[in-house]
Amino acid sequence: MKHSFLDKYSNLDSPVHRLDPRVKTVTALILIIIIVSETRGALFPFLFYIPVVAVLVAVSRIPWSYILKRCLIVAPFILLTALFYPISNMLASDYRPQGQYNHDYMVGLSIFLKAYSALILLILLTSSAKFHNLLLGLRKLKMPKLIGIISALMYRYVFLIHDEILKTNMARDSRTTGKLKMSRLKVFGNQSAMVFIRSFERSQTLYNSMLSRGFNGEFPSMSKLSVKGKELLLPGVLIFLMLVIRLANQNIQNYLFN
Amino acid sequence: MAAGVKIEKLSFSYTTDKQVLKEVSLEINPGEKLGIIGRSGAGKSTLLLHLNGILNGSGHISIDGIKVEKRSLYQVRKKVGLVFQNPDDQLFNPTVEEDVAFGPLNFGLSCEETKKRVRDALRAMNLEGMEKSVSHHLSLGERKRVALATVLAMQPEVIAFDEPFSSLDPEMVVQLIDIIQKLDATLIVVSQSLLPMLACCSRLAVIRDGVIVADGTTREIVTNRELMKSSGMDLSFYRELFRDYF
Repeated sequence: MKHSFLDKYSNLDSPVHRLDPRVKTVTALILIIIIVSETRGALFPFLFYIPVVAVLVAVSRIPWSYILKRCLIVAPFILLTALFYPISNMLASDYRPQGQYNHDYMVGLSIFLKAYSALILLILLTSSAKFHNLLLGLRKLKMPKLIGIISALMYRYVFLIHDEILKTNMARDSRTTGKLKMSRLKVFGNQSAMVFIRSFERSQTLYNSMLSRGFNGEFPSMSKLSVKGKELLLPGVLIFLMLVIRLANQNIQNYLFN
Repeated sequence: MAAGVKIEKLSFSYTTDKQVLKEVSLEINPGEKLGIIGRSGAGKSTLLLHLNGILNGSGHISIDGIKVEKRSLYQVRKKVGLVFQNPDDQLFNPTVEEDVAFGPLNFGLSCEETKKRVRDALRAMNLEGMEKSVSHHLSLGERKRVALATVLAMQPEVIAFDEPFSSLDPEMVVQLIDIIQKLDATLIVVSQSLLPMLACCSRLAVIRDGVIVADGTTREIVTNRELMKSSGMDLSFYRELFRDYF
């Protein structure tokens, strides 16, 4: 079965791709913290944050269609959170001035923008580096060994489950006349059960094969990570820029409200 | 380098109601090429998994004089390489190079030595230039060769193959036979494809319902029609076809 989805665009060559995974991870985390810690309901700074994120995506050469598709997966959760804030406030009190309603909507919108900006940065991080390099970087950043192993195995088993889904889909489609009718939901149920049983059995064999080659809980790697001075330039400029926007907005807010 | 294998009274069952291996005893000399044949479910693959301690039945197994037990697994797995039936079960790293390097790195080899071994193993399998290829994007034949390269890179003294010829086209079978013949190790090949086994193995053992029912030179075993028939390996039907067509 041929599939690749988690780090589909990790083979591209761009300044973002060339960054050391540790630098990339730390930069992404700092940017996310700056964005997420932005004042509640502040929309003005996003006029700067969004272009910065957009430029980063453009520089990475990862297609927007791919990023947006991945964003869609969590869209229901983000939308619900953003919508429920003004709605719950509206239902909680009988009378509120119009200005308060507007503020609630702005808070909802800022939740939406914060979440999506952070999400795009995370997608950018995971898509612009090979998953195992990212894990290697995280291990060097002192991520607990157990979490590293679990993540590596999970990554492998996601492919395995996906593989089994594709195979059982083909087996099902080859014996059906087209789309399955809702009345035949039982088939989906059986198929799902089989996918998990088969995946479990295959994962066991895979694990045996790892044991037979001396697996002892570590995924050794030949890649050696190294950070060059000029590699820090782009992340440094980015963090500086975002911090300036963040602090400038903070000062504007303080000035307006004091 | 090749090591001897000694299996004494090995018994094993996955469930309580059925024994898969029943007091299996075999002695394989260093450098010998042994084939194990038998029906599906006869216990061939289960026997292989015992060789480097993945399964632990009752009885004794020793590799090059080292008893296979929990505390000797590191040494045993260094000596015994298993090539699984389905290459997808063996390849789990993103690139060919990393998959082939997995074993040597686990056994503590330096990056330089590992790189050399990866290069040599890929060259032996005619896979040069495919180091950065994504394992699961290769053809079945290539994946099978990569799977073998992952084991060759460990330079094991014993190599156990589980159904190496399944799903391969005739040309690839011939290529694999050629590779297997050139290997400098003790070989244990488990397969239902009798014809390639004739080319690879100088000795055959027949397993039936978890019991070794015959063990001898390839010629002795294959010419025993009664034995072949009772073990589900009778090729007389194909002999007639061959006579008609070739």
